[in-house]
Order: sequence, then C-alpha cells, then structure tokens
Amino acid sequence: MTAFNADWSLMTPEIVLAILALTVFTVDFTTGIRGKKPFIGTLSVISLLITIVLVVIFNQNTGSIGDMFVVDPFAMLFKIVILIGVALVILTSMSYMDKHQDMYQGEMYSLLLFAALGAMLMVSSADLITLFVGLELLSISSYCLAGFRKNQAKSTEAALKYVVLGGTASAFILYGMSFMYGLTGSTSLVDIGTAMPMLYAEYQFLVIMSLFFMIAGFGFKISVVPFHMWAPDVYEGAPTPITGFLTAVSKIAGFAILIRILAVGFGAIYHEWYFIIAVIAALTMIIGNTVALVQSNIKRLMAYSGIAQAGYLLIPLAASLSFNITMSMIVYYAFAYVFMTLGAFAIISYVTEDANNEDISSFAGLYKRSPFLAHSMTVFLVSMAGLPITAGFVGKVYIFLGLMTSQMIWLAVIMIVTSTISFFYYFTIIKQMYMREPSEEGSMLKAPTSISLIVTISLIGTFGLALFANMLTNYMNGLNWIIL
Amino acid sequence: MIPNMLSLLVFLPLLGALIVLTIPNEHKNVIRSVAGVTSFVTLILSIIVWANFNRGVSGMQFAENYTWIDLGFVSFNYDLGVDGLSMPLLVLTTIVTFLAVVASATIKERVKEYFVWMLVLLTGMLGVFVALDMFLFFLFFELTLIPMFFIIGIWGGKEREYAAFKFLLYTGLGSALMLIAFFAMFYQGAVAGEATLNFLRLADIYANPANAEVITNTFRAGLFLTLFIAFAVKLPIFPFHTWLPDAHVQAPTAASMILAGVLLKMGAYGLLRVGFGILPDQAANFAWLIAVLGVVNIIYGALLALVQKDLKKLVAYSSISHMGIVLLGAASFTTAGMQGAIFQLVSHGFIAALLFFMVGAIYERTHTRMIEDLGGLSKTIPILAGFLLAAAMASVGLPGMSGFVSEFLAFTGIFWASPEVIPAAKTIAVIAALGIILTAAYLLWAMQRTTFGQLHQSHAHLQDARPIEYVPMVCLLGLIILIGVYPAILGDVINTTVIDIVSKIGG
Repeated sequence: MTAFNADWSLMTPEIVLAILALTVFTVDFTTGIRGKKPFIGTLSVISLLITIVLVVIFNQNTGSIGDMFVVDPFAMLFKIVILIGVALVILTSMSYMDKHQDMYQGEMYSLLLFAALGAMLMVSSADLITLFVGLELLSISSYCLAGFRKNQAKSTEAALKYVVLGGTASAFILYGMSFMYGLTGSTSLVDIGTAMPMLYAEYQFLVIMSLFFMIAGFGFKISVVPFHMWAPDVYEGAPTPITGFLTAVSKIAGFAILIRILAVGFGAIYHEWYFIIAVIAALTMIIGNTVALVQSNIKRLMAYSGIAQAGYLLIPLAASLSFNITMSMIVYYAFAYVFMTLGAFAIISYVTEDANNEDISSFAGLYKRSPFLAHSMTVFLVSMAGLPITAGFVGKVYIFLGLMTSQMIWLAVIMIVTSTISFFYYFTIIKQMYMREPSEEGSMLKAPTSISLIVTISLIGTFGLALFANMLTNYMNGLNWIIL
Repeated sequence: MIPNMLSLLVFLPLLGALIVLTIPNEHKNVIRSVAGVTSFVTLILSIIVWANFNRGVSGMQFAENYTWIDLGFVSFNYDLGVDGLSMPLLVLTTIVTFLAVVASATIKERVKEYFVWMLVLLTGMLGVFVALDMFLFFLFFELTLIPMFFIIGIWGGKEREYAAFKFLLYTGLGSALMLIAFFAMFYQGAVAGEATLNFLRLADIYANPANAEVITNTFRAGLFLTLFIAFAVKLPIFPFHTWLPDAHVQAPTAASMILAGVLLKMGAYGLLRVGFGILPDQAANFAWLIAVLGVVNIIYGALLALVQKDLKKLVAYSSISHMGIVLLGAASFTTAGMQGAIFQLVSHGFIAALLFFMVGAIYERTHTRMIEDLGGLSKTIPILAGFLLAAAMASVGLPGMSGFVSEFLAFTGIFWASPEVIPAAKTIAVIAALGIILTAAYLLWAMQRTTFGQLHQSHAHLQDARPIEYVPMVCLLGLIILIGVYPAILGDVINTTVIDIVSKIGG
C-alpha cells in the first residue's frame, strides 16, 4: 500500500487539530500581540475538545497509512490522555496569564496545541521518521514554552538548559535509530521488529548500542534516573502550568513511544533489555523519592515526585507479563497520573502565584483560605502517595501485583518502601495546609472558574478511576493493543 | 434481617461524614449531634448484627460477595463477613467510637473537620474487621491512617506534628510489609492453582497438602515472619513500638481512646486472621517466638510504665504491656489461651479507653499530666478520681472485672501449652506472671500519688464530672464489669471460632 491510496481519514483528528491550531495562531496574531486574551484560551480548549471527540469517533477503526501512521487502541488511549492533559494545562494557564500581562498570551496556547499535535503524531507512528517528526514538534514547542517568562532569568535558563540537553537527547535517539536503519535498510518499526531476532544473532553489538542510545535519549525525555538531571531546574524555571505540562503530558507521550519502540522493534529481544529497564525503574524510584524529601521549593519537589512516578510507570515494561496486562497497567496509571498531577499543578500554580513565592510555606493555612483547594490538593497528594480510594492507589496496587506475578520481588520491595518514603514529603505539604497558620492576614482565596473547573474534573477523575476501575480495566482487557 | 447489613454498617459513618460536610462551620452543635447520631446508629446496627449472630456456627456470617475490579489475571472482590473473631471487635469498635465521639465534646476548634475524620476513621476500622479480600482489607487498613494523622497532627498536644509523622511513617512501613506479604501469598497461591485474594480461599489453598511442593516450608516461614512484623508495628510489639507512646501522648483524648481501644486491635486481628488463619502450622512453629516477645512486651512495657512521670505515658506503656498478654494467649494454641487473647483484646479496648478518658478529663481540669503535680485528687474531684481508680483496678486485673478473665484465661493457656508448641511454656508463664505484679505496682503507685496524698493548692477548686462525662465513664465501666462477672456474653460468640483456629494444628 502506498501513501497515496491510503485511508487518510484515519488522520482526521490530527489534520483537524493542525487546522485549528493554525486558526488559533492566526486569530492570535491578528488581534494584536499583547494584552489579555482569554478568548484564545477558550478557543484552544474547544479545539482540543473537538479533537477528543474526533479521536473517539475516527480511531474506533484501526488501520494504518503506509505502515507509517497507525491507528490502534494503543494510540487512541494515549491520544485521549494527552488531549485531556493539554486541555487541563491550558485551563490552568488561563488564570496564570491573568497575573502575567507581560507574556505573549495567545502564543502560549497555540504552542501548546502544536505540542499536543506532535504528541499525537508520536503515539501513532510506526516508523522512525514520523516518530521523530512528532517528537521534535513536541520538544521544540516545549523548549519555547519553558522559556516563556522571558524577563525572568530562571525561565530563560530553564529554556536554554532544556534546548541544549533536549537537543543532545534527540541526537542520541537519532544516532540509535540510524543503526537500525543501517542494519535493515528500513525505517519501519515493523520491519525492524521482524528482522530483530536475526539482527541480534548477527550484529549483537550494534543492536545493543542502538538500544542503549535510544533508551538514553528517551530516558531523558521521560526524566528517569540517571537522565533526569535537567528536570528539576527546568521544572523550577518554567511557568508553573508549563511545569505541569512537562511533568504530565510530555512525559506520558515519551512513555508511549518508548513502549512502542521497545515492544514492536525490540520485542523479540525482550530478555536483553527488561533488566536494564528494571534497574532504571529502581534507581528512579529511589533517587526521585529520597531527593524529594529535602526540597523546599514546591515545583522542585513536584519535579522529583514526577521523577519518582516515572519509575512506577516504567515497572510494567520491566515485568514479564502479557503485553495486554502491561498495557492496561501503564494506561491506567497514565490516566490516574494525568488527573492527579494536573489537578495538583492547577492548585500549585494558583497558590504560588498568589503568594508570589514558590516555597512549600506558601501553602500554609490553605485550609482556612480556601477549603476547597486545600481538600482537593489533599486528595491529589494522597493519590500520588498511593493511599486508598484514589486512582493512584489502585494503579499502584495493580502495578505491584504485576511485579509479584513476574517474581520481581526485589523491585516490588523497592517500590513499596520508596512509596512509603514518599508519604513524608507529600504529607509535608498537607501539614502546611492544615497544621500551620496562614502567614499574612489569611485573606480568603477565591479560585477562578477555570481553576475550579480543572480541580473538579481532576477530582472526578481521581475518585472515578478508583471506584469504577472495573469499567476501564474490562474495556482494556478486551483490546487488541497494537495492530502493526 | 436487612440485606447487605455489613455494608450498611461500614458505610453508614461515611454517609454521616458527607452529611457533616454539608453543614456550615458555625453550627457546631448540629455537627456534634449528627456525628453522635451517626455513630450511635452504627452502634445499634452492630448490636443487631451481634444479636442475630448465629452462635455455634463456624464460618462467615452475613457474607457479601461481589466482584469489584477485574484485572484479567485476578479480581479484587468486595467480600465481607463476620465470624467469632471479628464479631466482638466489630462491636468493640462501634462502642468505643461512639463513646469517643461523646468524649469529643471538648473539641472546640475546627469541629467540622474533626468529626468528618472521626467518622471516616470509623468506616476504616469497621471495614478492616469485616473485609475478607486482601485488597479490601488493605484498603481499609490504610484508610485509618489518614484520619489518625490529621487528628493527631491538628488537635494533638505540643509535639503533635512530630507524633503524627512518626505514626504515619511507622504504620505506613508496617502496611508496606503487609502488602508485600499479601501479594507473595497471592502469587504462590496462584502458582498452586488458584489466583484469589480471598482469605478463606487462600486458607484452603495453603492448607492443602497437595500444594506442599509449590508452597515450600521456607516460603511459609518467611511469609509468616513478614506478616508478623507487619502487624507487630500496629499491635505494637517490641521493638516496633516506639511510635505508640508519642502518638498516644500527643493525641487528643478521644483519639487516644480509639487508638488504644481499637487501632491496636487491628494489628492483633490481622495476625490472627491472616497469620494464624492461613498459616496455622507456621504460627505453631513460631509460637515460642511469639510467646517470648509477648513476655518481653509484658515486662518491658511494665518496667517502662513504672518509671514514667507523665500519667498518659504511663497508660500508653501499660497498653504495650497488656498487648503482650494477647500474644501470650494466642501463642499457646490452647482453647483457653486463644479465648484469653480475644477476651484481652476486647477487655483492653474498654479499659484503655476508660483510662485515657479519665486522664484526659483530669488534664482538662488541672492542665497537667505530671503525676507529681496531681496529688490528692480524691479530695476535690472524688467522682473522677473514683472512676480512675476503678479503671486502674480493672487494668491490674481485679477479679470481677474483664481484665481478670482475660489474664486468667491467657495465663492458663500458656501454662498448659503443649511442650511441642512452646518448649518452656511453664517457665514463660511464670516470668509473664511477674508482669502482673509489676502492673499492680506501677498502677497502684501511680494511683497513690495522684488520687491520694497531699492536695496541690492550685487544684483545690476543680469541677467534678459533668453530666456528659458520665456517659463514657459509666458505659465503659459497666461493660468492664459485665464481661468480668458474666464472661459468657463474649465467650459464646467466640468459642466456635476459637476451637476452629486451635484445631487447625490439632491442639
């Protein structure tokens, strides 16, 4: 099948999103470069909602375009997670932008839309080239977004660090990919996957090198130890809603593509890499959780918490389970992760902006100033810590159970012990909210509509996923995840 | 009989918590009443279950089974049920919690939040005692953690934050170990043939001699020890007990009542339900260790209690000491010993709750808990001092009170334990009995220094018991005496189950 007589309708959501993103972009620059532009934000959120609907409609049919762009349940579910995530980030940005009139408001939203588009392309690609195009579209948008507060040294530093290191990571990925192309003469993941047993038998060294470079490159993108060094600085410097975007959305997209490459391309030599992934997961959980203990800046704390969470997300890949189960674990946790993280970031963004201070103490006495935000934050933190009746709890138990089933007891022990350590820093924030008095007059905080909306959606997500986990898992158990 | 009785019982407090959430902060009395009514109705429901409980039938009653989350390779089920082991603890929980809610009348700040947490806590505790699925059990077990963290951390004493975090981390690590043990158990069970998280099914799988090759003895031993440590933290057993004095001393009165009255029992219950229930052979193997730790707990707790200057700390250490008796009774693997263990759980639940309540009431008036500052209380507040003395006597194990029955049964049990189960049973029994003397010593000495002796000038005009304080005092003391003079009220509920547990090792 050539690309020309392929079923292009499979790509409808992406095409529509591209058009909408360009429209938003056009509307933005025709309405002047400065000033408040909440309507651009609203427009962007609507665009994303339209795209979600389109994904649900058009991605029901599986298929592929020239074996490069593939639509399957794997892609569909990740796209939904990503789009929900970006929509939540834009909603968060809208209230953030009210405080920062110096930023080019409309641009941020359209960049986020392009980032979403890149992420969608990424999760749907079954070819190294499409994949790289998607990855760079996402990455470059992210670099710009990180440096959006251009008058702030920290933000500029973040963007610079991010672009240099991110570029290096991309180079690693490309280098690893080039080996594969050199060996097989094809950029198709399916071809690579088919040839893999033979390749491994004949060119073991090159295959391992390729794998190593790709894991390093993607490891950077999803900020797992030891490729995580950039994350705390970039997360701290970036505007807070963008930090949420980086920890949640961009990470999930990175995960999706790492899974597809490992499963489709390198699935045949699973025994060669699962242990590497297991070790990375272990290090990530240990370092993420312990370093988070000593952070006093809330964004840095969340950065390390996000690193630790990436460790939990890696575990299913390392555990030798049926692919279906691995996938449902990851997707379940990804959904949980997006809701709890972005819910928390919406609150963090609002509270730190109000206090003009990113220290954990900006949360002091929040229960008095805004009971709603304080209670909701508690739910998100408790969910991240993995305590009951939240999605984070079910997700963690699910992953943990998988580990026990594949007899990786050592990793299970590390996971549980580090999770318990995480109680400490999550509850430190809770302590600030409930056990400390507000520093100033203790004026009431009235959360703007957009923040309340995200928090409510995230709350529904966090509880709903836990109480009605059955619906999602039942649905996922019956899926044929990857068609190519 | 109402269908889904246990679900109703467990989730009624949660419903009450939701109602409390909707009441504006200012209506403190409305909030108090809603919480009081909710916990009272829960208490009534538990008594209905108690009354309808079919004595003489072993196995689970009021069972409910639903599939909750199906993951493909295993499902988390909503399985509830009560037997002779959980039944008394269920009623203990509702009684102590209701009385703690009454005792919470002294809470004046952040009333709404406080009662929401209390009611959530009640749901968690009840859930632990009725859940028969490991996942569900763990969920409820963890659910108790959060309310207690807040209650200690917000309404506690000076060092409340430290105590709250210590409580959270210690019991959190205990739970973590428990989870590891649970799933190791699940996994070996799945290898042996059936992927189930149900306690009763697992007990069958683990008891089946055909599975001996998959479920090796080494594995069983490791599993039992892990479970033992996991529950030891909550119980608490030396050397995992250090969180308890801090938590108890810092917690507000009502929380101390619940902590000592119910939460510690969750550890013992877990040990009996999971450890003894699924791995009776290992429980018997390690009976000597459990018995020795029991004795250590008794003596060590008593010795520490002896040197305390703070009355509340003294009571906290006496809790550690008294939990040793539970271990001793359970380890004996005799009918009497096992009965003694369960009797002690219930009896200590009431006695400790009463003691903590009395200490709280006295502290509220005198603003001190230092024994040396509390002399001569019987002169100004004779009623409170009298109840305190009565509680102390119950704790010492005076005949006619519940403590006597449980200690008598537990010590008889250990004394007559089979030498195959515990080699030096009689020696252990004798050493443990020294604990009784120590208990008498520290409690009587403490009473002599607080209720009698020289009255402190600043305490000359204290108000004696208020009407509302009579509710917890009279109820708790009444129950202590009731069990003391008519032990059959408890005995006939637990006997069948006790015989069941003991017969598993052919004792």
